[in-house]
Amino acid sequence: MRTFLSRYGLILVLLILPVAYGIHDLQVDGNLTRLGENLKDGISNGAIWALVAIGYTLVYGIIELINFAHGDVFMIGSFVSFSFWSTLGLTLTSKGFGLFFGLLITLVIAMLACGTLNVLIERVAYRPLRNAPKLAPLITAVGFSFILQNVGLEWFGGSQRGVDDLINAQKTFTTIGGVTITHADVLAVAVTAPLVALLAWFVTSTRLGKAMRATAQEPEAARLMGVNVDTTISLTFLLGGIMAGAAGLIYALYQTTIWFFQGFQAGLIAFTAAVMGGIGNIQGAVLGGLIIGCIQQISDNRIGGEWTPAIVFAYLVLIMVFRPQGLLGEETREAG
Amino acid sequence: MSAIAAGLRDSRERFNQLPRRTIWAIGAVVLVLLILLPFAYQPASGFIDDCVTALAYVVMALGLNIVVGFAGLLDLGYVAFYAIGAYVIGWYGSGFFASINGSKGFHFVAESASHLPGIHINFLFILVIAALFAALAGTVIGLPTLRLRGDYIAIVTLAFGEITRVFAVNGTDIHPFGKNYPLTLGRQGITPIDPIDLPGLKAFDPLNLRPWYWFGLALVLLVLFVNFRLRDSRLGRAWIALREDEVAAASMGVPLVKTKLMAYATGAAFGGMAGAFLASYQNTVNADQFEFSFSIFVLAMVILGGLGSIWGVVLGAVALSFINSRLIPDVLNGVPHKIGLNFDLTELSFGIFGFLLVIMMVLKPEGLLPERRRQIEFEEGVGADEALYEARA
Amino acid sequence: MSDGATTSQPDRTAPAGANGGDGGSALILQSVAVGKVFGGLVAVDNVDFEIPRHSIVSIIGPNGAGKTTFFNMLTGLYKPSSGRIAFEDGDITGMRPDKITALGVARTFQNIRLFATMSGVENVMVGQHARMRAGLFGSILRLPRVRSEEARVEEHAREMLTYVGLRPGLHDQMAANLSYGDQRRVEIARALASDPKLLLLDEPTAGMNPNESARLTDFMETLRSDRGLTILLIEHDMKVVMGVSDRITVLDHGEKIAEGPPQEVRSDKRVVEAYLGKQEGE
Repeated sequence: MRTFLSRYGLILVLLILPVAYGIHDLQVDGNLTRLGENLKDGISNGAIWALVAIGYTLVYGIIELINFAHGDVFMIGSFVSFSFWSTLGLTLTSKGFGLFFGLLITLVIAMLACGTLNVLIERVAYRPLRNAPKLAPLITAVGFSFILQNVGLEWFGGSQRGVDDLINAQKTFTTIGGVTITHADVLAVAVTAPLVALLAWFVTSTRLGKAMRATAQEPEAARLMGVNVDTTISLTFLLGGIMAGAAGLIYALYQTTIWFFQGFQAGLIAFTAAVMGGIGNIQGAVLGGLIIGCIQQISDNRIGGEWTPAIVFAYLVLIMVFRPQGLLGEETREAG
Repeated sequence: MSAIAAGLRDSRERFNQLPRRTIWAIGAVVLVLLILLPFAYQPASGFIDDCVTALAYVVMALGLNIVVGFAGLLDLGYVAFYAIGAYVIGWYGSGFFASINGSKGFHFVAESASHLPGIHINFLFILVIAALFAALAGTVIGLPTLRLRGDYIAIVTLAFGEITRVFAVNGTDIHPFGKNYPLTLGRQGITPIDPIDLPGLKAFDPLNLRPWYWFGLALVLLVLFVNFRLRDSRLGRAWIALREDEVAAASMGVPLVKTKLMAYATGAAFGGMAGAFLASYQNTVNADQFEFSFSIFVLAMVILGGLGSIWGVVLGAVALSFINSRLIPDVLNGVPHKIGLNFDLTELSFGIFGFLLVIMMVLKPEGLLPERRRQIEFEEGVGADEALYEARA
Repeated sequence: MSDGATTSQPDRTAPAGANGGDGGSALILQSVAVGKVFGGLVAVDNVDFEIPRHSIVSIIGPNGAGKTTFFNMLTGLYKPSSGRIAFEDGDITGMRPDKITALGVARTFQNIRLFATMSGVENVMVGQHARMRAGLFGSILRLPRVRSEEARVEEHAREMLTYVGLRPGLHDQMAANLSYGDQRRVEIARALASDPKLLLLDEPTAGMNPNESARLTDFMETLRSDRGLTILLIEHDMKVVMGVSDRITVLDHGEKIAEGPPQEVRSDKRVVEAYLGKQEGE
């Protein structure tokens, strides 16, 4: 009974904002276009958060630790992307195949860089502390978060840095029902969807992917079956980092600004998404990302961006208290 | 690092073996030296300034030590209590509520501000009010965390810390006190703040740091006293039992909810008091002071010193405070230029902290002056972190 | 044997025997149709159970039979999915563990759960948490009442430790440094410290050699006669169970399949089957 109530209670609470503003729009504008825009933006932003959230959820699923530095890995992804595409010579005048392949290579580079970075963090921050009290790896992760932020600070300075609008982010691609879909929206979804699908396929159908899932559920049993737990954990971090790297590139092209501090905020938003969807659950991370994206957009647009963090965190607290397993997770089992 | 720690451990062992009277005598001598310290410096000396700040941070670190060190509750949002303490004096010890009482102001044992508009309550009462408000906030923040596991507690407390910051920054736009008064003055800051004005004495002034130093020292002594008393009491044992094994603790009759909330509230109270003190000392309450990195700064002090170790935490707080205010800006700042690099080391301060945290946890997680117990915990991985059963509060 | 009872509880020298007659009902604990379901798994199914005052009662059964789950419901760690539990005629179904301890139920754990970085004395002092009154401000101010309470509690702790056989030189040793046998002793002392009326022991002889088991068995008898305790035991060691129990209850797959005095249970066909599997030809 309680499970039922808490799941639908959560859904209800999530619906408050969109419904309230939907009604408001109907009264003021006579249509739902503005809400539609908010939701559309929410989905495309949310796609970015989904990618970052996947990193959190995979890592938590396998070692039950929050990778505090993950948001900053995402930030490095943006930084690496910008640096690389500038080095490649991509500018506002680039178009066509040159632009496409240039960005494709940038994507690969960003993914590799962030994947490697994440694995490095695992080796230095998590592996040596596997048997220490949970406090220890959390602290080292925070330490890494700070180090990465400082790297970002030194790299491109303390203020937000504009980057070339390579894909003409705000240009309308098409309009559906009065809602403008921009290039940025298309980019976000077009890159995220295949990546998520690829990851899902990897996790369900390949041997390594199954090893990951087995280790997440029963590390001892997996070990007995011959799974190399250490490698599997590193693989998980690698995949999470890859997703974050991709998210970093999309973010840079979408927002056309990068900032050393973007990872901290993104990290908390993405973590909220992961928890909301159900920690450990990839579909949950995606769903959570989209939902949080929408909440964030509605809040930015209606209440004011300066209040959004408070609203997102309030949701986080609510979820943690009333439904820690999120929308798609199961009630935590008590030990028998 | 290991050599320093080993050296400290040996000195500590030898120190502990001295007869009690000798220890007390040494303590008394040290205390007298500390009291006389300001006379070795100018009244407005930069060194004494750093000392005052360090004293305030010691109080905060001791507060956080109760939550994280004794009770084992991973609080990453301690800055919220600093903020609350600061805003208590911002509201009730300044000209913030300027129109109160027909602009004549409301005064309570506040001689020096007796003609100023606004609410001006004597600092000693402010300390109590700040402690109470913070303790209340600690209870509120603690409530949602009661059934959560370690890292989830970290995230929820972090979230509360951030929510507090958002309200501090954007408080200019909301008016809970009625039309004329916003919640806070955001980044611009509430200033000036009443200086400490003890009954019978002249109000402290910003040019003579000595009274501030002595007040801070007295505050530290008070907080130390409370800490030692609590550690060796029924409540202190309950906290440590809670940290070690929540399920066993509950089965032995320790009420989990009450004990956890008491840890949050007590730890928060210290943060609030230190917050009010710092606000008065710095003469401003500015939303920029309440960032997440501050929570980590205080946590780093506790970890560096040794979780749960009272003297260790004092050492950690003093060390980090001075590294932050002296070592990096003054001493090390010239180093990069000397080796041909072109950057300002202060910019790297939080990266350096990050590095320090990583090194600490990998090399010596039990801290510089570990509580003897903790050494066992970290060395042997002893102490149940995971509740085998979902302990019901 | 020292009588280390704190002055807040009446002296307990009730006669041994299955049915105590010193006032209050004859049953110290009663469970009616108690069950526990985890997700889809039925761990305990409709168990009626009674413990007569001053008796020593055992629960046995193959692994996974639900014994510890049942225990955990009695001590408040789990909330029963169904049924009711009464302790001394008061309903304790779903009550918080610390409240149940305060009422007079104490326990030890299958895997010793001492507070490893505390000394033996400190562990036992925690056991008395529910019997102490010192609060936040009293502790800070060290009021005379608090001071004497602390002294009394510490003395009582040391008495308990000596009572269970831990030599005084080890009292202040960190629990993690004690031998397995000594740790078990400290755990029992800790449970006894709260001055319980009902003591639950979860596999107390695990890891002990026959000598030690025999001594523990004697000790249980002493606890009953000396301190008027009622004892409920989960055990696998049949010698101990048969030797010390007034009555044995057998669980299998969460259900009660037999109950009675040791002789009866030992020869009960269902019990044999549960442990050994169905015999051929049946």
